[in-house]
Amino acid sequence: MMKAGELEIGEAKSSTPISGVNRGISILDFILRILAFVGTLASAIAMGTTNETLPFFTQFTRFRAEYDDLPTFTFFVVANAGVSAYLVLSLPLSIFHIVRSSAQKSRNILIFFDTAMLALLTAGASAAAAIVYLAHKGNTKANWFAICQQFNSFCERTSGSLIGSFVGAFALILLIFLSAVALSRR
Amino acid sequence: MAIDVPESSAGAKGKAPLIATTAAALGGYKKGIAIMDFILRICAMISALAASAAMGTSEETLPFFTQFFQFQASYDDLPTFSFFVIAMALVASYLVLSLPFSIVSIIRPHVAGPRLLLLILDTIALSLATAGGGAATAIVYLAHNGNANTNWLAICQQFGDFCQKASGAVVASFITAVILLFLVVMSGFALRRQ
Repeated sequence: MMKAGELEIGEAKSSTPISGVNRGISILDFILRILAFVGTLASAIAMGTTNETLPFFTQFTRFRAEYDDLPTFTFFVVANAGVSAYLVLSLPLSIFHIVRSSAQKSRNILIFFDTAMLALLTAGASAAAAIVYLAHKGNTKANWFAICQQFNSFCERTSGSLIGSFVGAFALILLIFLSAVALSRR
Repeated sequence: MAIDVPESSAGAKGKAPLIATTAAALGGYKKGIAIMDFILRICAMISALAASAAMGTSEETLPFFTQFFQFQASYDDLPTFSFFVIAMALVASYLVLSLPFSIVSIIRPHVAGPRLLLLILDTIALSLATAGGGAATAIVYLAHNGNANTNWLAICQQFGDFCQKASGAVVASFITAVILLFLVVMSGFALRRQ
C-alpha cells in the first residue's frame, strides 16, 4: 500500500542521495560556524585589549589610546562579542541538522538569525574600518589629524582585528547560502 | 499487485483531491510571498536610490571665507561617503535588475531556481548596504560629536545642512538594509518543499 502510493505520486526514488548531500551541507555548515566563531571572538579580544601609552606626556594632552576612546570601536567589540555568542549558541542547532538533515522549520529560523547577525557584524566591521581608515590617513578638509602616526601599535592591533571580523562575515554569507541550498533540495 | 491495484486506485481517488487542494493552497502562499517580495523590492530600490542621491548631492558652502581655509563641504571630501554613494548605487541597480527574477517567481511559484538565486544575491546586497551604512554612520557620528581624545572637531556645528543630508542618507540606507533582511527571510521561507 505504501509502495504503490509512493510510486503513483512519483517521489521517494532519489531520497537517499539528496539526504546524503544535505548531510554534507550540514557538516560544512558546522565547520563554517566554528570558523566564524573563532574569527569574531579573536576580533573582539584583539580590539578589546588594545592599550597604548606613549612614553611622554604634557600637562594638557593625554597620550594614551584605548579602544573605548572611540565609541565606534566599543560598538565593534560589542557586536563581535554578540555575534560570537550567537554562533556558539547555534552550534547545537547545527548538530541537530547533521543528525536530521530534512528539518525545515529550524533551518528557516537559522537563516533568519544568521541574516540578522550578518547585518550586525557587517555594520560593526565597516564602521570600525571607516574609523581605522580615518586614523591612518586623517582628513585635511575636516582638520582631523591621523592619530596612527603617533600610536603605531594601537593602529596595527585595531587594523588586524578587522580581518577576523570580515572573515566571520564572509563565513556567515556562506552559511546563509548553504542553509538555503539545503532547504531547496528535498 | 492485482489485489493492490484497486486499493491503490481507491486510495488515489481518496488522496488526489487532498493533494490537489493542499498544493493549490501551498502554491497560493508562495505566490503571496512572491508578490510581497516584488513590492518590497521596489520599496528597497527607491530607498537605496534616495540614500545614494541624498548623499551625492550633499554639498554646502559657507558664506564666509578666510585666506587659508576653505569652508566648503562635499561628500567626496570624505572617502567613506564616496564609498557610501557607490555602494548604495550598486545596491539600487542590483534591485532594479532583480525585478524580472521576482516576476518569474510570481508566475511560477514552485520553481526553486530564481528564488535561490535571489536569496544569495540579496544576502550580498544586504552586506554591501549594511557596510556602506555602517561606515557612513561612524563618520556622521564623529562629525556630530567629535572626539576629545583624538582632537577631532565636530564639523556639524558649522556645516548644518551637509550633516543633515548625510544623516538622512544614512537612515535611508538602514531602511534598505532592513527591507533586504525581510526579503532574504521571505525567500528562505518560500523555498520550503513539502
